[in-house]
Amino acid sequence: MDQGIPIELTVNGRRRTLVVAPRHTLLEVIRDELALTGTKECCLVGECGACTVRLDERIVDSCLVLAVEADGCVVTTVEGLAAGDRLTRLQAAFLDHGGVQCGFCIPGQVMAADDLLRRNPHPSLQEVEEGLAGNLCRCGCYGQIAEAVLATAAGDPEGEA
Amino acid sequence: MSAVRVGDAPRRVGGEARVTGRQQYVADIHLAHELHVKLVTLPVARARIGGIDTSAALALPGVRFVMTAADLPQPVPRFGPQFRDRPIIATDETKYHGDPVAAVAAETKDAAEAAARLVRVAWEELPAVTTVAAALDPTAPLVQDPAIRPNDPLAATNVLREHPVSWGDLDAAAASADLVVENVYTFPMVTHFAIEPHAFIAAPDGDGIAVWSSIQHPNWLQRVIAQLLDLPLAKVRVYAPDPGGGFGGKQHAKYEPLLAFMALRAGRPVRLVLTLEETFQAVRRTAAEVRVRTGLRSDGTLAFEDIEANYLIGAYADIADRVVGKGSYPACGPYRVPAARILARSILSHTVPSTAFRGFGNPQVNWAVESNLTEAAARLGIDPLELRLRNLARRGEAFIPFDTPCDGDWEQTVRRAAELIGWNTPAPAGRGRGIALGIKSGPTTGLSYSTVRLLADGSVVVYAGTSDMGQGARTVFAQIASQELGASLDAVTVVMGDTGVVPYDQQTSASRSTVLMGNAVLAACRDIQAKLRSMAARLHGVDEAEVVVDRGVVRLRGRELPIIDVLKPGLGSLGGELIGLGEMRKEADPDHPLGGTAAFFEFNCTAVEAEVDEETGDVTIARYVTVSDVGKAINPLQVRMQDEGAAIQGLGHTLLEQYIFDGHGRIRNLGAIDYRIPTSMDLPVEMISEIVENEDGPGPYGSKGMSEGALLCVAAAVAGAVRDASGVVIRDLPLTPERVWRALRDRDRS
Amino acid sequence: MHAFSYARPATLMEAVSLLAEHGPSARVLAGGTDLVIRLRDGTLTPDVVVDVKRIPELRPRIELGDGRLSISAGTVMTDVAADERVRRHFPALVEAARVVGSVQIRNRATLAGNVCNASPAADTAPPLLVYRAVAVAIGPEGIRRIPLDELFVRSGQTTLTRGELVTAIELPLPERRTGAAHLRRTRRRGHDLASVTLCCAVDEAGVTRIAYGSVGPRPVLEVDPSGLLADPAAPSETTAAALERMFAAASPSPGSMRASPEYRLAMLRVLGVRALRTALARLVEG
Repeated sequence: MDQGIPIELTVNGRRRTLVVAPRHTLLEVIRDELALTGTKECCLVGECGACTVRLDERIVDSCLVLAVEADGCVVTTVEGLAAGDRLTRLQAAFLDHGGVQCGFCIPGQVMAADDLLRRNPHPSLQEVEEGLAGNLCRCGCYGQIAEAVLATAAGDPEGEA
Repeated sequence: MSAVRVGDAPRRVGGEARVTGRQQYVADIHLAHELHVKLVTLPVARARIGGIDTSAALALPGVRFVMTAADLPQPVPRFGPQFRDRPIIATDETKYHGDPVAAVAAETKDAAEAAARLVRVAWEELPAVTTVAAALDPTAPLVQDPAIRPNDPLAATNVLREHPVSWGDLDAAAASADLVVENVYTFPMVTHFAIEPHAFIAAPDGDGIAVWSSIQHPNWLQRVIAQLLDLPLAKVRVYAPDPGGGFGGKQHAKYEPLLAFMALRAGRPVRLVLTLEETFQAVRRTAAEVRVRTGLRSDGTLAFEDIEANYLIGAYADIADRVVGKGSYPACGPYRVPAARILARSILSHTVPSTAFRGFGNPQVNWAVESNLTEAAARLGIDPLELRLRNLARRGEAFIPFDTPCDGDWEQTVRRAAELIGWNTPAPAGRGRGIALGIKSGPTTGLSYSTVRLLADGSVVVYAGTSDMGQGARTVFAQIASQELGASLDAVTVVMGDTGVVPYDQQTSASRSTVLMGNAVLAACRDIQAKLRSMAARLHGVDEAEVVVDRGVVRLRGRELPIIDVLKPGLGSLGGELIGLGEMRKEADPDHPLGGTAAFFEFNCTAVEAEVDEETGDVTIARYVTVSDVGKAINPLQVRMQDEGAAIQGLGHTLLEQYIFDGHGRIRNLGAIDYRIPTSMDLPVEMISEIVENEDGPGPYGSKGMSEGALLCVAAAVAGAVRDASGVVIRDLPLTPERVWRALRDRDRS
Repeated sequence: MHAFSYARPATLMEAVSLLAEHGPSARVLAGGTDLVIRLRDGTLTPDVVVDVKRIPELRPRIELGDGRLSISAGTVMTDVAADERVRRHFPALVEAARVVGSVQIRNRATLAGNVCNASPAADTAPPLLVYRAVAVAIGPEGIRRIPLDELFVRSGQTTLTRGELVTAIELPLPERRTGAAHLRRTRRRGHDLASVTLCCAVDEAGVTRIAYGSVGPRPVLEVDPSGLLADPAAPSETTAAALERMFAAASPSPGSMRASPEYRLAMLRVLGVRALRTALARLVEG
């Protein structure tokens, strides 16, 4: 019988109160309890980064965080990046530079790229590649994703609508 | 915003949903009262199934039922795109590590997982064959029940089919050869590793059934389900949200049939989302051992190719035999080959069923044949680029005697790639270069319908049954409609992935969709344009022959009107819309070995400059060039992304990827930790991709299909560079550091 | 995952008491990047998971004092790699911390956790051994300082006794000027588990310390006080022979999927030579 542990956390700016089982990961709770399905399930062993979220100002693989550990924390998912319908410059750059194909890895990539630019507003290409190395893309968009990140850093998103 | 033109690179249609997380993949969809399904498998390659005790599983709270073969109609129905060889669930025997024996349905994921662990299966390990040699051994156990292939002499073996292709006089050609190079090459088992694991939902839908699947071929799946459940097609609705990566691994039915039966039994929706490990056990590329014997004259011209390709397919045929036939067919490459003998075999084994995977059987033979050409060049003392150019087919040449002739200026592609790599300049010290050519036949038959609706305000809805799994089909179709009907891109809606609403499309594969569905969309637009012509003629009192509708504009009597200025008055007080129907069909040719000639060829030249760390075996690619002959890039950005993506995927099987088995035929490296694919840090230092556009394809505006070409010859180009840099010749993939290191030591010893 | 109870002690004593009470059926949860994987695959089925992150003494903190740098148990790899004092005094540890997984992993994985997990392939183990790290542990019997070389037993096993919990990793400031380097072998350039991981440090007195992992059941530390390896004028056969002695304890497992024993042993030597060269160069640069 699962223990039910009450937790309180802020998700995308909203305070949420939940009762969770210890064995449920933050990823599961985000997707299943909070119905925020932008964060994806893939490898579930912290290798692919599809589940990347921001937890207290740092990006983490939410598949390796138990939901109970997030008690009292601030969580941002991909849904929390854009302001309403308006894409961030980074998101727009992903589209303008061809950094998106099937899209499944993209929420994680965007979270990782967003984090990188906060820590390092003007990264080199190598720093971009290292910063996003925890996000696998099987469609192979790495080059274009890097271009998008560098373009955002340079303050020059091409052809923004 | 004005209409985009073909050749522009607008933002991907559907892109916003992807970058915001709003995109709904199958696993993001939840239905009320859904049950969660978990599969039960055995820790062995092949086993006889004894009793299945579900009592402990059923006793868990929340568990509704456990489905086994005994719960299905008897005999258990079988399915499969080529042979109906696959039972909906294993019956008396599991045939590969991961073959499901039972499926639990429960109220929660946790309950389903816990119950799956409690299902007690009495099983007995049986001898399994997991390699070509083992499968071909005369004493080998048969993978497939011979009764599935009555009247087939091969049914008493594990050879499913043989695909012989030959032309010319091989003996005479052999006599004329000054050099014969013969080697065996191997291509390992690798898996698709789409970032979205396969996901399926089935639910009763009135007197029929609804299925959601990450499937690439919705109409095909509809047919399979209808047949298995004995339902009319019109009572089977398949929803096919964009797959999160397909690459061929989501083409054909896997667990949808099982889920359909479970949904009908439960009277409720049932959902199954595979774990990444389970996807490795569901789909993979066909592995191969290829013996190539190439004969050349001393001037480097080819005398013959004699190729024996043993492809190791899985326990169920899926589409793998087609992979073998179609992939091996152009094995000789894009060259003038006076005499050829190709014999490819699809060989069954107790392994994960292999299925379609980008390249469709071509990368395996390309690895062998191109590597052999590189060796031949070395032995003849001829530059490997020069050797290829000397033999390269020219436009119009029937390089495969009974098929579509060379349909492009391939030399242009090759020379451009050579130029970009700096082939005729000296390589920097310590680096070597390799070059290879890849060819693949496009679709051999095809049928796509599209309907397009021009709505009263000039906006457009396009219905196209193609699956957009990242290649950008949706955008391509939207661009065509935008250009032809003068609507801005944000006034075009493309509806895909719903057999209840979208007309028939044969499938999404073989890089076919821009050509086949694109032409259908174009035809539907032209149908609307014809109606607009008629409308304009009526409104302006002129003859239809005097009206031209071209790219969103109506021209008559020296005037130019935007379509809306004809449409609005034309529709009149009742309003309405104009509906266009388009069809693109490529008929089968029953006499052709592949069932039809190639609609087009994908042609690519890849050139690599690399260095090898002599102490560790690490291969560093300093420069990577890929050039593809695409006819016309409807969206150049998407084309570039596909080519670079294909190259990176190819670098995966070239340098990193393989299944690792234990002595019991079990896969050891399931999951992301020990199956390595390229990350952002594993890219070539410099990657250059270009396209050749001669508008000489059969698709809209002279386009050809593309997206597989750039994967075909990655391995041979890289290995060629490794050979040039270090002198080592490696004939087995992947070129892991350890494998290269061993080859370096062998070189030093000899 | 199997169900388990979750405890979040607020004090060290509570944590120790829980661990003492449950023994092997309790597991410590710090970063979770190893534990959660094993909970999911069922290789660990504890009754209780003890989350130590809210214990004040364990909260992320790096402190310099008493000639030692003390890295609290809750300190993650990102912070270890970014800390100015770690960079100045223990640069090879930074090199190692920076290659543990990805950014996402490094933001959670703790240095202490990496040590206590006792994987023979742990990348931080060789530099910690070379830098003479000590694990500070608290248990029912009190506080112990355990030199890391005495902590590792084999994969997944340390000499911590029932109820003991590591509270910090301490690194004594080097008494002599030192040059050090960390290198490893992986299957790809992207993040990966090491098939060989090695650290070499040479100090101005010529003492050479080499530690290596993933070539045996536990990370190994070897010390050569002779000065031979540190002598740039020594003939290469002599250096090679000295290095060979350092690697005598290597015994890679034949069953590994990542690399064969032959390759690992060969790479051990390649990395040893390269790391030594870099360490000497850094010693000279000062």
